[in-house]
Amino acid sequence: MLTTLFGLQPNKVASAITSSLIKLSINATTQLETITTTTIETTKPKLEEVRVNMAEMRAESKPVELVTSVGSCVAICLYDSVNMCGGLAHIMLPKSAIAPQEPLPGKFADTAVPALAKAVRKLGRKEARLSAKIAGGANMFPNMNGLNIGLKNIEGVKAALAEHKIRLIAEDVGDAHGRRVTFDVTTGIATVKRFNGDETKL
Amino acid sequence: MSGQIENTTNIICEKNDLSAYTHTQTDQVDLSRLLELGSIGAWHAATSLSEVLQQQVVIDIPKIHTIPPHLLPQHYQRHEAPTTAVYMQIANNECDILLIFDCEEAKKIAAMMTMVPSVDELDPVMEESAIQELANILIGSFLAAISDFTGLQLIPTTPQRVVDTFDAIIDNFVVKHSLISDEVLIFDTHFKRAGEKANLILMMFPSPQLQEQLVQQSKKQMEL
Repeated sequence: MLTTLFGLQPNKVASAITSSLIKLSINATTQLETITTTTIETTKPKLEEVRVNMAEMRAESKPVELVTSVGSCVAICLYDSVNMCGGLAHIMLPKSAIAPQEPLPGKFADTAVPALAKAVRKLGRKEARLSAKIAGGANMFPNMNGLNIGLKNIEGVKAALAEHKIRLIAEDVGDAHGRRVTFDVTTGIATVKRFNGDETKL
Repeated sequence: MSGQIENTTNIICEKNDLSAYTHTQTDQVDLSRLLELGSIGAWHAATSLSEVLQQQVVIDIPKIHTIPPHLLPQHYQRHEAPTTAVYMQIANNECDILLIFDCEEAKKIAAMMTMVPSVDELDPVMEESAIQELANILIGSFLAAISDFTGLQLIPTTPQRVVDTFDAIIDNFVVKHSLISDEVLIFDTHFKRAGEKANLILMMFPSPQLQEQLVQQSKKQMEL
């Protein structure tokens, strides 16, 4: 019954929800939620999303959002508050010494931090003032025997940032769940979304 | 607030492209041997799964190839898709096995196994144990068939279920495997349930030593 009502008058969804939300079955509420979230998203101006893959880095000065999904990997967001641009790196491992033959600098914390900082500095005309926000480093399988790569990654990233004198201003790390990181390069705001829908702004 | 903003993009690591990658260390003949092994395991797994679900199940492995570990998320292109995965290990840390379901598919299968008429009435605890049991049966018979054929003892550990986004689940394994090898084996698995395509992926990350053992043993068997 409700679905047909919404099919006919989609613009009156909001008023209908408040009046009848309580009486709905679980099934119908989930349908309602999907409708309301889509209407909210269309009203908000959306930035272009650019995906940063595993072991990749990207620096941007255009108004875009850099997106990546991390589990035990760590997403490093560098923001230049003077020139209002930034970059994101999705690193996999703490140290490049583990696999020295590997040519990708974006794979390791100790090589990704200087490379990304250099790329972000290149974008601005004035001297950059860099700050960092990090997210990730989860331990997805706490019962899995062996090493906790997430923890090692967090330590590796922090050490690399300290070595290159970049201030770490916010972090959302650890635990046993994945994170979707969205980094707005012009404002420097990083949004971390968990699988259960919780959102944190860094 | 000022500061010049140029509309420039700075992409680093342009070589990090899936299509550009052609190099492989594993011999093509060895790969086809592993494909044969995989197919034997898949047939057995499909048979036991058909019995559990009381439905025709087909698991087809048409292709096997290798790619560098960090390109796995790009290969599957599922990124933030809601995913239910069951993780098992072969004893002695020799091989990680992941059975990956689309969340909806996992619910459907669990409802079928627990004889619940609709997905909405499914109890989350029952779903977890049903899915773990399914993985036990599927991977158990898969490995038993390969064990029989090669004579290698492959005993799986207890299953562990996790629900999260696709990329977050697999990145743990990608990282772990990139520490020991420059490439991962990809079995293109196609699941069919009651004549329709099912959203399931079977992933295996054998250690280089186990992979070599499997190749050698199947070589022996196939020459007999």
